[in-house]
Amino acid sequence: MSQLSREQVREMMADVMAKQGKTLPDDDATALDTFGFRSLDFSELALKVEDEIDEELNFDAPGLRSIETIGDVLDFIGQLVEQA
Amino acid sequence: MTEPAGAGNRLVAGTFEGTWRDLATLDAPAASAFFVQGHAEALAAVWTHATDPSRETLVASHTRKEAGLVESLRAAGLATVDVAGLDVAVDPLPEPREAVAGRVWLLTSGSTGRPKHVAHTLDSLTTVRGEQPARTWLCPYTPGAYAWWQVVTLGLSLPGQDVVFVENDRLENWADIALAHGVDAASGTPTFWRQALMRSGETLAKIAFKQITLGGEPVDQGVLDLLHGAFPDARVSWIYASSEAGASIAVHDGRAGFPEAWLTGEPREGRPRLSVDGDELVIASPHRGEGVDAQLHTGDRVEIRDGRVLITGRLASDEINVGGSKVSASQVRDVLQSHPGVLWASAKGRRAPLVGTVVQADVVLSDQDTTEADLARWCAERLADYAVPRRFRLLDSIPIKESLKSDV
Repeated sequence: MSQLSREQVREMMADVMAKQGKTLPDDDATALDTFGFRSLDFSELALKVEDEIDEELNFDAPGLRSIETIGDVLDFIGQLVEQA
Repeated sequence: MTEPAGAGNRLVAGTFEGTWRDLATLDAPAASAFFVQGHAEALAAVWTHATDPSRETLVASHTRKEAGLVESLRAAGLATVDVAGLDVAVDPLPEPREAVAGRVWLLTSGSTGRPKHVAHTLDSLTTVRGEQPARTWLCPYTPGAYAWWQVVTLGLSLPGQDVVFVENDRLENWADIALAHGVDAASGTPTFWRQALMRSGETLAKIAFKQITLGGEPVDQGVLDLLHGAFPDARVSWIYASSEAGASIAVHDGRAGFPEAWLTGEPREGRPRLSVDGDELVIASPHRGEGVDAQLHTGDRVEIRDGRVLITGRLASDEINVGGSKVSASQVRDVLQSHPGVLWASAKGRRAPLVGTVVQADVVLSDQDTTEADLARWCAERLADYAVPRRFRLLDSIPIKESLKSDV
């Protein structure tokens, strides 16, 4: 990840959940649906990252359907940031 | 020539201070489009028109002069005239046509494409009639705009209506100018008023306003309450008016929207007929521009709530599609502006993965302790999940355009 560490993205993800009174589990293998991380939350996280790095991310990558865990989200965002 | 009834009213515009009678008349072709540097030049163009019934006139700020517009005005038979101080530079037409006596052209804002010219007369632009209390008005609008003409025709046609004009580059100091010249009535957009209260509240508190008027943008209850609170002795009115529809709605009861009962029954003599088609406001106004549809579909979205018809924003720009669910940007804006820590807000769509678009809000706080999380919670309690803004931008000041509307 060129401009943001995985941990920084994780903190942003935690912020998204905290705004809704939810806590992000510590284990990256946790499935997203077990703690209510939805499409809108993913969108918000992506925009937070865009604003942080001041670059638009290219969301036309094909991996979206395989994003099921916290680790998947962090991996995917990491790839997008590297390509930005 | 019959002199206009307000010819002796006092005008303040830049370095000019005097009555209409003290203004110079401009030496220009009978059918002319005047591009003016400031208000004094614009008023001279108006006086030239008002004292010669054979004339046909357009007045616009020099900032609006661009090649395409000039070409279309000249094609329509108007010579173009640049007025800067005492300098009058005429670009005549090779084959001038006869002027249409008394016609006044207005340019639309052009926010949805090239500006259109709408035909009026001084009479059709004069929407306040009858005996009125003496006032000193502040006019912050750009020369040639419909709202500018409304203040100008008021000052021209009714005795006792003095006007203090504020040049665009002095807008930040308008409260000082108003105080110095004894202003007790002012007209502006909700954005203009919010910005003024934020920036110049202490000076404004020294001004004994008797009349405050809002228009040009959706008027929400929040801004009306702010103004009532700041100026308890003033009448606070909101109006709906445009160059095409003309002045159509005036509400003085301190509440947002107008009574639903106005949609039914016969309007009083000289008043427009109001109706709703789907969720669009339709107006049949005797003050409309020449050639404008008798039943004008305004493109403005309305909502009927608790017996009031609320005008919430432009239909074309109001809808945000979040993952297939429709969100009204104006509804989000209104919810945010009802938060006690928010002075001004605007909502729009922002491209996002998975859902295509999410709602993003720009906010100016009145209470700096308010957080994004507070705003998100406030919205979540009042809006559908998908309509809650997912990104907030906290701005230091309210963005504003030359039209005094918010720059978003």
